[in-house]
Amino acid sequence: MTAVLAPSTPKPLGELRPRRVPEHWWGYLLLLPAVVLVLGLVLYPVGYSFWLSLHSKHAYMPIQNWVGLDNFIFFLTDYDGFWRSLWLGTIYAFGTVTLQVIVGVAAALVLNETFVGRGFIRGLTLFPYMLPTIVVVILMRWLFNDSIGVVKYLLESTVVTRAMVWFAPETIMLTMILVSTWTFFPFVVIGVLARLQTIDPELYAAAQIDGAGAFRRFVHITLPQIASVLFVVVLLRFMFMFTKFDTIWLFAGAGGLGSYVRTLPIYTFIKSFGELQVGMGAALAVIMFAMIAAFVTIYFRLFTRSEEM
Amino acid sequence: MFGYIAQRTAVYVSAGILLLMCGFPLYWMVLTSVKPDREIIQAIPTFFTWDAHLDAYQRLFTTTRFLTYFINSITVAGGATLLTILVAVLAAYAITRFRFRGREFVARTMLFTYMFAPIMIVVPFYIMMRSAGLVNSHLGLILSYTTFSLPFSMWMLRSFFQSIPLELEEAAMIDGASRPKAVALIVVPMALPGVIAVSIFTFIVAWNDYLFARVLIGADELKTLPVGIQDLYESTVTDWGMVMAAGVVVTIPALVFFVAVQRYLISGWGAGAIKG
Repeated sequence: MTAVLAPSTPKPLGELRPRRVPEHWWGYLLLLPAVVLVLGLVLYPVGYSFWLSLHSKHAYMPIQNWVGLDNFIFFLTDYDGFWRSLWLGTIYAFGTVTLQVIVGVAAALVLNETFVGRGFIRGLTLFPYMLPTIVVVILMRWLFNDSIGVVKYLLESTVVTRAMVWFAPETIMLTMILVSTWTFFPFVVIGVLARLQTIDPELYAAAQIDGAGAFRRFVHITLPQIASVLFVVVLLRFMFMFTKFDTIWLFAGAGGLGSYVRTLPIYTFIKSFGELQVGMGAALAVIMFAMIAAFVTIYFRLFTRSEEM
Repeated sequence: MFGYIAQRTAVYVSAGILLLMCGFPLYWMVLTSVKPDREIIQAIPTFFTWDAHLDAYQRLFTTTRFLTYFINSITVAGGATLLTILVAVLAAYAITRFRFRGREFVARTMLFTYMFAPIMIVVPFYIMMRSAGLVNSHLGLILSYTTFSLPFSMWMLRSFFQSIPLELEEAAMIDGASRPKAVALIVVPMALPGVIAVSIFTFIVAWNDYLFARVLIGADELKTLPVGIQDLYESTVTDWGMVMAAGVVVTIPALVFFVAVQRYLISGWGAGAIKG
């Protein structure tokens, strides 16, 4: 760990000049702006969040009362709010991460082959990930439009016989999962493709001589080689999707249809800035943080156990 | 032979699917933005138009405040980029060139902050900014985006700085250059690919952000593009041609930066690999 994070330390330059200020003071001084920013604008807010979660506080008005664990106790029985959001958020995160990994690995395998125009298609494949969220949202709302959208037209004039509705209570979660998959699968491609390029081609040549087909080569050579990358990618993607706010909020909105994809981040935003209960919003943030910490712990346990087998 | 042809066919078909999946939506956005209105709203869409024109772009810039949002976004993203480079260069220099206690601890703690998703800190962040009087100001946004990109930027620059031989700086200083001068004339130019990568990363973070811009900015004349476009989209009967035109314009800076970063990132990593 240390060897990776702290490569050879260059020897200090200080001896070159007559010393007025001790050398290490300069180090602290130059690091100070960065530390102040991160301390003040990330770590302090996180701590403040914990403190806020124990209060009942209005977003604008100077109303602030100590309520202890009341916010958390409230969510325990908040079936239509908290528990439903947790359920929807879990479906969303699992659904889209699964699809992202399948599509991402498949795309990486294709992009690792040689073909005419590979460089161009590699660049193009990464592009959805670079698009600003607002552009993804308006573009997808247009493509999936229920009256004159081109996706509906293409599907109904080819494979689908009955009318498609993408923006309905029953289908909005599926639409949301597909849109998120389109936007975020390039993240999987970047990681997996980089790893694929380092696999020794001789492994495949040997397997081919032994008579292994494409599928067996994938299962026995490729998969074990990319397993460690997938481990990190899945972890990060799950954390990102579980806390994803802007794509869902902009795509489905707050009320009406949005309530069918109201995941925990959306619920947090509504509580904080819709109902102006920032204490409750902070409590939800704390709960999300605890869940992610628990998820990471369990995830590492499972992974190391399967390694031992 | 048959196996080879089958394999080649499979590769090209899959590549074709990727091309359609990622390219078609972009093509459709550009096409819609230049189509005449009657072609946009017809039930059977046209997949090409002979009657392309830029009316939608003209409507976008003349009948809405899009230009204001655009300038605001440039201001905020540009400001955040400059500030990030300044702070990250100082920090990375401190970490690679000076020995002091807690150096590694600080570097790792910074990376640790990526554990906290934006939605988890937006509530206390808003309250703090409110009491600091930085709500409805671009400065508040610039500070937030700088903070978000700082840990990544510092680590990126740190690895670049480590690959620059100390002898070069020493030589410059023996020749009479002051240390700030040696940093500005030798260290930063040699780490240019890293500085560019960091700038692009920060610019895109700031350019794309919706959440903090939504929460911290209320005044219409101060809104950045993501918030402005959302309001544009929701306030009227959707003028798809104009909305897609907005999408194209917002994408262009991200595209330009993306193309630039790709090349520099690869060459930067390559140089790092040679160095070991």
